[in-house]
Amino acid sequence: MVGLSIGEKHFVQGGIAQDLRSDGRKRLTYRPISVETGNIPQANGSARVKMGATDVIASVKAELGKPSPFQPDKGKVSIYVDCSPTAAPMFEGRGGDELSAELSAALQRCLLGGKSGAGGGIDLSSLSIVEGKVCWDLYIDGLVVSSDGNLLDALGAAIKAALSNTGIPKVNVAASASFDGQPEVDVSDEEFLQFDTFGVPVVVTLTKVGRHYIVDATSEEESQMSSAISVSINRQGRICGLTKRGGAGLDPSIILDMISVAKHVSEQLMNKLDSEIFAAEACEEES
Amino acid sequence: MEYVSPEGLRLDGRRPLEMRQIKAEIGAVSKADGSAVFEMGNTKVIAAVYGPREVQNRSQQLSDQALVRCEYSMANFSTGDRMRKPKGDRRSTEISLVIRQTMEACILTHLMPRSQIDIFVQVLQADGGTRSACINAATLALADAGIPMRDLVTSCSAGYLNSTPLLDLNYVEDSAGGPDVTVGILPKLDKVTLLQMDAKLPLDTFENVMQLAIEGCKAVANYIREVLLENTKQLECRRGV
Repeated sequence: MVGLSIGEKHFVQGGIAQDLRSDGRKRLTYRPISVETGNIPQANGSARVKMGATDVIASVKAELGKPSPFQPDKGKVSIYVDCSPTAAPMFEGRGGDELSAELSAALQRCLLGGKSGAGGGIDLSSLSIVEGKVCWDLYIDGLVVSSDGNLLDALGAAIKAALSNTGIPKVNVAASASFDGQPEVDVSDEEFLQFDTFGVPVVVTLTKVGRHYIVDATSEEESQMSSAISVSINRQGRICGLTKRGGAGLDPSIILDMISVAKHVSEQLMNKLDSEIFAAEACEEES
Repeated sequence: MEYVSPEGLRLDGRRPLEMRQIKAEIGAVSKADGSAVFEMGNTKVIAAVYGPREVQNRSQQLSDQALVRCEYSMANFSTGDRMRKPKGDRRSTEISLVIRQTMEACILTHLMPRSQIDIFVQVLQADGGTRSACINAATLALADAGIPMRDLVTSCSAGYLNSTPLLDLNYVEDSAGGPDVTVGILPKLDKVTLLQMDAKLPLDTFENVMQLAIEGCKAVANYIREVLLENTKQLECRRGV
């Protein structure tokens, strides 16, 4: 936990009120973001995102599985987040489980849409191979290596970058179905299909401190928050998911105001991320 | 299966006495007091050190020396097949214990009574030799945190397959079922602090294999010393001395 003295608390709060935060940023400015892709060779896709001192890794693994009987024409995606004790000693043992569960649930809500999978950023029908028989299961694993606030946005960005780095092997289905109805599939290890990440949203968290709200809060600022709203917004500017965290109540009109600000910020973040991901991919191809 | 070809090359193209490429970097986790990344071929681990600080659990406090704690964890994506339950299994508990005992032996704990030092190691990629890589990473992280130590501890493994001693086994060689000797040494004091072996070996062969592992440790120690020296130079440069 962050231990701040009364003076430090006033300093953080006062800075936010005057639109000049302790690290010199304005209220709606992100820390510098750096993206590295393809750093976990065993995975189908991976990325490491650093926002200031926050450092997260996301990896995507694709496995062949059976689609659920309710949605025979769709694949499955699951998101798990793990908080490594390297990030903070309080995550030791089972200490990080609560935060991990909270982050996983929030990311699932923000990126995967509802139970039907409709409205989510990932197109589940592209993961289907043979309807009702075989599909791809995507396992998205996030790992928090170093934590300095704003984990949700960083994880969202890392997952987006990892997905655009993901190559899913091309599958050839044998024409004759075998006896037990399970089709024979042949997974190619040379040809890969690039995953379409055009619709994957970005997550923007607005943290309310005092009467103002800020983006990309550090852990010192997060310790002073009353509540926070995480909004996931796609390229068209539509809201894909929303999570409110923190104890204090919020006025509905303020929530609407925060959402419109988040939408504005998300455009900048989306462009920034796109160029970073593009640069990272180019860098990876070169090496 | 043939692990050493007639030309004397191993599966990944190394010679029997050749180590994988090692790479280390200090300061990977900015919030920690000391941290390091250590890579041995495809094995990659991060270590972070917190402390010396106040003891969290009063009942564990030692009045004459520091309490050293260690936790080893593997990321879900670190192995070839995705792991389901990475935390708290027997293997990681055992490795945590091994790392703790090895590091405790070289930290000057009596200088910091009533305090606690936490070492956390996180495996990002596992390709054999995670135990050794973790110890090497922990040494670097402890040095980065400025914790007084008797010497650097370094570790390396060696094995014996196709009647050839092999240095620094990778995952495929490790799972071949042959003997795997993991050694940790204090290179300057020339003392062995960690020695583990599974499977059986004739005594004279064991001597050769262990000697090979010790040579590996010394090579790692030289590299670690270079990295630390380079890091100190940079720090000095930043201070403008």
